[in-house]
Amino acid sequence: MDIHFEKVEVRFEGRTVIHPLDLNLSGRRIGIIGLNGSGKTTLARMINGLVKPSSGRVTVNGFDTVAQEDEARGQSGFIFQNPQNQIILPLLREDIALGLKSRKLSKDVVAAAVDAVLDRFGIRHLGDRRAHELSGGELQLAALASVLVTAPKILVMDEPTNQLDIKNRNLVENTIRTLPEDVIVISHDLDLVAGLDRVLLVHDGRIAADGEPAAVIGEYRAMHGVHG
Amino acid sequence: MRSLHIDGDSRLHRMPAGLKLASLAVISLALFTINHPAVLAIAALVGLASHALLRISAAEIWRRMRPFVLIVVVVALFTGVFSGVTEGLVALFRLAALALFASLVTATTTTGDFIDVITRAAMPLERLGLLKASDVGLSIGLVIRFIPEILSRYEVIRDAHYARGLKPRPLSIIVPLIITTLRSADEIAAAIDARGIRSQK
Ligand SMILES: Nc1ncnc2c1ncn2[C@@H]1O[C@H](COP(=O)(O)OP(=O)(O)O)[C@@H](O)[C@H]1O
Ligand SMILES: [Mg+2]
Repeated sequence: MDIHFEKVEVRFEGRTVIHPLDLNLSGRRIGIIGLNGSGKTTLARMINGLVKPSSGRVTVNGFDTVAQEDEARGQSGFIFQNPQNQIILPLLREDIALGLKSRKLSKDVVAAAVDAVLDRFGIRHLGDRRAHELSGGELQLAALASVLVTAPKILVMDEPTNQLDIKNRNLVENTIRTLPEDVIVISHDLDLVAGLDRVLLVHDGRIAADGEPAAVIGEYRAMHGVHG
Repeated sequence: MRSLHIDGDSRLHRMPAGLKLASLAVISLALFTINHPAVLAIAALVGLASHALLRISAAEIWRRMRPFVLIVVVVALFTGVFSGVTEGLVALFRLAALALFASLVTATTTTGDFIDVITRAAMPLERLGLLKASDVGLSIGLVIRFIPEILSRYEVIRDAHYARGLKPRPLSIIVPLIITTLRSADEIAAAIDARGIRSQK
């Protein structure tokens, strides 16, 4: 991945949520940690153009998220905090196919692509099920399938294991660990983050630490008086 | 009931969605030209019996019809009071038959099929440069998808009232219902953008 934030600032209703920021993201697997409300989601959403900078600019693999919105957006997939709202159609197979709709492919090509992505996550048997019948872990895998069917190069995930029980969390974590795509993952799960290549600590709309996971996680714990 | 569509392999399930919608349109027009209460009552019974043939349980039929019951009864009562009993029965059976036939279509058609057929139907308007056909299809698909969701959200809010010993009142239900619905609508709009479902290419 090759993502650049240049003098980026985000204000919502006059309040600064991301303070002026210069940041380059490259490499394979990056984690983002920080307290609730610190600005992690806002930062991650800018990569997909879901949030536009109030000033400055964001480029993803060379495409500006404002001037070249469709191209920039095509570089990354985004997994939302609540997969419930990400699955748009009730039948999983139809939902996954929806992501390919704008490409005007033939029915057979779409069906084959849907099967391939279901197989990739071992959930082909869920294709004809309804989203609301799935367990939390299945739903998260379904969300991954619905996003990865369009083959984005980068996958951004917003707290993907947050609402899961321990069993489903392990399932989703292990899936994330083996994804060949470049990943950016926001998480409160410090074990997951510890296995990544680089971690950013966001605090009050600023990057408070950036580097080796062990060092950044240590700093996060120290900042909030957690030892161990 | 979290989805209006019900799994099955009946003839109605296999019938092309376009044909079902066209038939529904024709039947609706017919229902509005017929003014005979007995004929309309038979139409409503046919609609009801078709649900049974699809093995849709009575409880499920009730869940599907419940949102219409109040409005149908109110309209029928008003008509009955102001225009006479016959007219009241005509309104009752006509609206009931209409709701039942529409329910047969939504029960046997997936949201994806709805989106496809409505998109195709809107193509002529797109050619006139009036709108984007795929947007019309997606919007109507989303409406069908969210009706049951809004209903179950209503139940959650009502139960929250009971849990706290409060009597549910229209205003104290509708305000949170609108807020939670708008909030998730925002999220879903973001998901549609993020997944490139509406991209121009
Ligand atoms: N659309 C929005 N409108 C107004 N304020 C927002 C919006 N999105 C986020 N915020 C505010 O921005 C701050 C950072 O939010 P967010 O990026 O979601 O934090 P995090 O993901 O770290 O919990 C919070 O104070 C939040 O209330
Ligand atoms: Mg967040």
